[in-house]
Amino acid sequence: MFQSNTKSFLQFILLILLQVFLLNNVNLFGFLNPYIYLLFLITYRFDNNPTLLILIGFLMGFLLDLLSHGAGGHMIASLAIAFLRPYIIQFSFGVNSDISMGMVRGTSLSNRLLYLVLMVFIHHLILFIVVYFNLKSISIIFKYTLITSIFSFILLWISLGFFKTRHD
Amino acid sequence: MRQIFNALLKYKNTSLFLGLLFISFLIVNQRSFYHKSVFSAIGLGISSNLYGVSKGISDYFNLKKINADLVKENNKLKALEIIYFQNQILKQKTLDTFNFEVTSAKIIKNSFNKANNYLIINKGYEDGVMEDMGVISTDGVIGIVNETRAHHSSVISILHQEIKINVSFKKNGAYGSLVWPGIHPKKMILDDISIINSVSVGDTIVTGGMSAYFPFGIPIGVVSKFVQPKTEGYYQIEVDLFSNLTQKEFAYVIKNKDLDEIKKLTGDVSK
Repeated sequence: MFQSNTKSFLQFILLILLQVFLLNNVNLFGFLNPYIYLLFLITYRFDNNPTLLILIGFLMGFLLDLLSHGAGGHMIASLAIAFLRPYIIQFSFGVNSDISMGMVRGTSLSNRLLYLVLMVFIHHLILFIVVYFNLKSISIIFKYTLITSIFSFILLWISLGFFKTRHD
Repeated sequence: MRQIFNALLKYKNTSLFLGLLFISFLIVNQRSFYHKSVFSAIGLGISSNLYGVSKGISDYFNLKKINADLVKENNKLKALEIIYFQNQILKQKTLDTFNFEVTSAKIIKNSFNKANNYLIINKGYEDGVMEDMGVISTDGVIGIVNETRAHHSSVISILHQEIKINVSFKKNGAYGSLVWPGIHPKKMILDDISIINSVSVGDTIVTGGMSAYFPFGIPIGVVSKFVQPKTEGYYQIEVDLFSNLTQKEFAYVIKNKDLDEIKKLTGDVSK
């Protein structure tokens, strides 16, 4: 237990540093930054305390906004995705939602894909809504959400592969 | 009590989420100027509509008194009209050279008991009201327009500690700035009057022509007390306002036709 907590803590710090100092400077096509820090919220064990995850999500977004001088988009988006995660798990895995490492093994590929797509898309949608915060820019919000979601998805899928081999 | 705790425990994730979301919005409001302006615009929209409803109800009971006031004002205007027709040609010339336009408005929310006070009036940008216009009443200055919506605007009252109004003495034109120390809604402080000018209790204070917000010569108040310092170069003057800002119903918004030009000259177009 202690070991897994330490591991999670290191993962948390590592992902934030990676996001702020490496991926926020990618600027693909001038504006695209994939958001790798979602990996923590995605791979958090399904049987761990969901209340704790809400606090962690809030803290993670808050630190990201502090370090990257954001207004608060990451804070609200990761808080919301941490709160919505149990419902997304329920929706995408159905009866298999009690498999604790369901996002990397033990479930069918389509379920895992659905889970990842929903997590990434909802998170990015909330993020861009908060950043633009204006009904008039709804088209640009959807455009950025879609394109950034695709890149984040690819990156997260690859990282999940590493996760699987490391834990096996 | 126990049921409340049980309900809180049952919905602990939801309540934690809503609590943290609220905190997040507070932080966003603090950190980002853009989000702050969006929030304040939404707040102004909601509060102006609510105050409009409650004002409509309370106005119904004040109709009698307002009618009496209107009759009085009509009598005054009638007299003025007669004089006006007598001097029509002369007046027209004066109006053409006068650089300010006047729009009437109604105050639907007034405050005077805070350190920094705001009002809401029922005219917005669709009625030609824009930011930085001056607002006066029948017997004095009320404030400066701060933010406008389609049919409502918020006005920074002169009872606001960060606002300074350019004023001058009626008798000799010495000018200074009027600020509110934040205590009594009829008492203001007049700064920057040099001791080379003579001041006595009872002198009338009018708006000065140095600001782009108000035309010269609107009466504001009288000097009630002053201290002549021995060493420093400026008087400490206390002014009693003519107008009672705690009982205002109607206001007039003043538009300076040359405001854009003046702003360009002072390099303040960005605002």
